[in-house]
Amino acid sequence: MSRSPSSDPFLRRLSQRTRHAMKTASLRLFVLAPLGLLALLGACAPATRVTLLPQASGTPSAVEVSTGKGSRLIDQPYQVANVSRRGEVSQDSTTADRVREAYPRLLALQPGAPERFVLEFEPGTSQLTAESQAQLDTILAQARARAGGEIVVTGHTDRQGSLEANDTLSLERARAVRALLIDRGFAAERIEAVGRGEREPVVPTDDEVAEPRNRRAEIVVR
Amino acid sequence: MRLSFTPCLLLALASAAPLAFAQAAAPAPEPAASAAAAASSATRIGTFKQVEGDIWVGRADTRRTPASGDGVRVAERVSTGQTGAATLILKDGTVLTMGPNTTMDLSRFQFDSTTQEGSFLLDLLQGSVRVVTGLLARINPDLFKVSTPTSVVGVRGTDFIVETQAAP
Repeated sequence: MSRSPSSDPFLRRLSQRTRHAMKTASLRLFVLAPLGLLALLGACAPATRVTLLPQASGTPSAVEVSTGKGSRLIDQPYQVANVSRRGEVSQDSTTADRVREAYPRLLALQPGAPERFVLEFEPGTSQLTAESQAQLDTILAQARARAGGEIVVTGHTDRQGSLEANDTLSLERARAVRALLIDRGFAAERIEAVGRGEREPVVPTDDEVAEPRNRRAEIVVR
Repeated sequence: MRLSFTPCLLLALASAAPLAFAQAAAPAPEPAASAAAAASSATRIGTFKQVEGDIWVGRADTRRTPASGDGVRVAERVSTGQTGAATLILKDGTVLTMGPNTTMDLSRFQFDSTTQEGSFLLDLLQGSVRVVTGLLARINPDLFKVSTPTSVVGVRGTDFIVETQAAP
């Protein structure tokens, strides 16, 4: 791997021939451009390039890139899968700096992490507690501060009652909160009410157990 | 191995400037406009967040320029020009950030917010998109795909960038 010019006459001649070949190659290219250029490049430049970024949480992740000719799993941050026009997949790697250079706007436009709130209800009702009522203004302020801000209200129940009945009850709770937010002037099409029923308790219990802490609405502002 | 890359290297060296031009000028594929696809659903599946420069939703002469806070529907095409870029958040929390000179179709989006089941297919026709996956990919990883003219990308809960050249 020495980089010093070779003193071996054979190698020197070889390198001159390579230089000559390069010159012809580039000359031919310029003649071909622009008509043949795209086709030529298509054969070489990857037709698709997939770059795995680190997860904000630091948890492991992966993507699998598949074509008719095979597939490749990349599972380390900054690994790259390149796909040629002919569908061959090869692996490469990049760095945080090179990604910043190649895709500045994909990084710049990334929205901030969603904000989360938990609202609680008076027992057996869709009526928010006074403390939770007081949080609504904070939620609205956060949503208005974001470009295209949205509010997702997800209602939850405890495990008392049937799954179906709890789906309905949780959706009613979410809709009640949504109505309050619309009343305060937030755009209705950017507030979604979701009912998750008894599927996501904060305090796990057996079925048919009353647990006030599980009767709640979770708010995501994004 | 090294030898097989040499022609590519030469091409790259000899044509850096024309390449940049060629990419910028690559025409978006012919819109496969169909009234059925356009009218398939009035339901909002996502919301535009940051919107910059040249950007359009829809196909051909019916396309509109979205503003921050506007919605997008299933099967719609979103495209950006040379100055364009945008971020969309889909209902399940998936974040899509589009770079310049990008065309993508939100071909399939099904999401039951109660069970969190569903499926997603994004067709990236040209350009670059960053995907930060949400609930759909967490619950249904095998049904969350990004497809390009040459490949299909499947996920395991992730943040990644896909860049593709327009189909020849």
